[in-house]
Amino acid sequence: MSTGNELEALLRPPATEMPPYPPKVITLASGEQMVVRQIEREEVPTLLEAIAPLLWVERDFYDIVAARLFAELLAFKRYRVLDEYCLVGLIDGVLAGIVNGRVASPDVGMSYHTLTLRRGLRVGAHLFAAKMEYHVEYLGEKEVLIVAESPIGFRRWMIEYPLEKKFEIQHELGGVPSWVLTRETYLAAKPRLVAGRRPVSPELLETARKILLPEEETLTVQILGERGRTT
Amino acid sequence: MRQVAIAGCGMTKFGRSDVNLVELMCESSVGALRHADLGERRVDAVYVANMGAARINKQTAIASALVDRLSLFPAMAESVENGPASGASAFKNGFLAVASGMADVVLVTGAEKMRAVNNLEATDFVASLTHPEAEYIYGVTLPSLAGMFTRLYMKQFGVTAEHLAMVAIKNQENALKNPFAHIQQRITIEGILHAPEAVVNNPFVADPLRLYDCCPVSDGAASLVLCELDLAREFCPAPIRVAGIGQATDTHAVHERPDPTQLTAVHLAAEKAFSISGLSPKEIDVVELHDAFTILEIAESEAAGFFPKGEGHLALEQGTTSLDGALPINPSGGLKGRGHPVGATGVAQLVELTWQLRGEADARQVKNAKSGFACNFGGFGNNVITTVLVREDR
Amino acid sequence: MIEPSVYGNRCSACGKVSYPAHHVCPECGEGAFEPVELAGEGTVLTYTDVYALPLDYAQRYLRLGMVELDLGVRATGQLLDENPEIGKRVKVTIGVVRQSSDKKIYGLQFVPV
Repeated sequence: MSTGNELEALLRPPATEMPPYPPKVITLASGEQMVVRQIEREEVPTLLEAIAPLLWVERDFYDIVAARLFAELLAFKRYRVLDEYCLVGLIDGVLAGIVNGRVASPDVGMSYHTLTLRRGLRVGAHLFAAKMEYHVEYLGEKEVLIVAESPIGFRRWMIEYPLEKKFEIQHELGGVPSWVLTRETYLAAKPRLVAGRRPVSPELLETARKILLPEEETLTVQILGERGRTT
Repeated sequence: MRQVAIAGCGMTKFGRSDVNLVELMCESSVGALRHADLGERRVDAVYVANMGAARINKQTAIASALVDRLSLFPAMAESVENGPASGASAFKNGFLAVASGMADVVLVTGAEKMRAVNNLEATDFVASLTHPEAEYIYGVTLPSLAGMFTRLYMKQFGVTAEHLAMVAIKNQENALKNPFAHIQQRITIEGILHAPEAVVNNPFVADPLRLYDCCPVSDGAASLVLCELDLAREFCPAPIRVAGIGQATDTHAVHERPDPTQLTAVHLAAEKAFSISGLSPKEIDVVELHDAFTILEIAESEAAGFFPKGEGHLALEQGTTSLDGALPINPSGGLKGRGHPVGATGVAQLVELTWQLRGEADARQVKNAKSGFACNFGGFGNNVITTVLVREDR
Repeated sequence: MIEPSVYGNRCSACGKVSYPAHHVCPECGEGAFEPVELAGEGTVLTYTDVYALPLDYAQRYLRLGMVELDLGVRATGQLLDENPEIGKRVKVTIGVVRQSSDKKIYGLQFVPV
């Protein structure tokens, strides 16, 4: 037993104290309330179940984002990555989107991915902003390194915040060097780009306690369009 | 000129399509031909409405392609390009073919497959209709022209952001009752305007216009079958007579218009259509307007003669233009809710009116609709076609 | 170095100035014109901040305006004013208004007087 624990300890990163992300609630364009909260490791299997069908959807880079996010969340669950977090957006408890990243150093955050399951309501924009909020305001970091798979989506963040080039640093996800969101830029952009109210009422938090999977038909229509196209 | 009727119609569900442009055209065409139930009668001419096939889809001469796919040879055929008014233009040409006696049965199909390119490319493609030296080079896009127009309208007539939001909410609500509409999503005034989160939910696109003030980018196709009225009476249970068509143009560069809040081409085209039809705006039961931007529904409703200038937003406030109001506007969801595949829109408006006048509009049926009006707005109002349709047996 | 300019047309027959150019005078139907440089001052008619920009632009938004020039025509251009207002006085300058790959395109920019 102790040999097993010793071996496990060889590969398990040291446990660090990460300040938790306080949940918030966002009113979407539809009037629906989306709760944004952090997840526990035990909830990862549910997320994996939601992500798995997207591994084969080429359109809009869903396949590569799903594949990488799947791996990152699995690594998080199995204690094989240092200081990773994951936030989810839930509407009546139903999973609307997932964002994740990690603390690369006390001053530098590493943004990983943003996956939207409920489209057309800017869920992705809200969750990406929540991620930046976490890094800057709750983890106290000075900058967040960002890279993306989809050039169109990325270009929007690049221009909207705006992001700066930090090409001397390679992003962990490989590919091209990093772009960065600095603390100053985040704070200036906050009124425009970061929304949500705290605290979340106990009743609302209760609806968001258990993560519910979107119905398969809804997912198909949302992501694949009417006829289940994959490309 | 002979009398012309719409004997059948059809459309694809607008939105995100997984088939190519010609496939889309075939789908709506077959739907319309089936609805018309022509029997042994042959289609003599095909008119296709489309704006971007050459640029976006890298394909030309698509009317000929459609004839081939539907095995309609040796029917006459051509494409008509008139920017966002391509749909009504193709319809007008089809009408003239029947009215003149050059053709007896005409198929009109409008289609666009916009999502073959990304949003940046699509925006630039639509911007190509602006004046190249006086507008385009400045980064002028269609939303920017609408934004400048809206700012003036708000200042002069007291239209507010709330009024614009009301148009969007009404049209998306109507779209929920339209199985062919692109947008199937309810929105609330809280979510798009009043909540603090609205700044993210509904950001400015060209201020004062916001995201929900602009129609989506869509793929889709819509078709009509036109024939001579007496011929239609032989086989069609409810021929819809084309009572009047009007068209007018205006300056290319928007800044050259004498009164920048006046949609002169809409006014003149509507006047002509009403005059030919012998009807007045008061006698119209159902209306389809070109709300590429929410402000345009309000402005067109005035310019076409339904409300006095500067009072369109009051009618909206009072619920007059809601589905259950005295003059429902855009029961289909309009461009905002139904979507805007550019070449298809003008035809889709007429498809909706045909369904409404035939009592086939299901959950969004306007009661006792006997006469309808459509406005297809090309450029930023420099080429407008309006149509009056009347149910023949009433 | 020739400074780029933007020109309207003055009809040789009736004197009406129009911009952009027409081959036929919209006022009198004649077809002979003299170029008129668009310069000087004017009044802002309307404006907007455009956020959804084409690929040639990497900025967050672009401020465009329609201006009624004192010389008797209206023009559309970029409005370089931190505090735009309908009715505000501006003057014409020429600058780079669009840049596609290597080509610089010059056009009208309006600045506060």
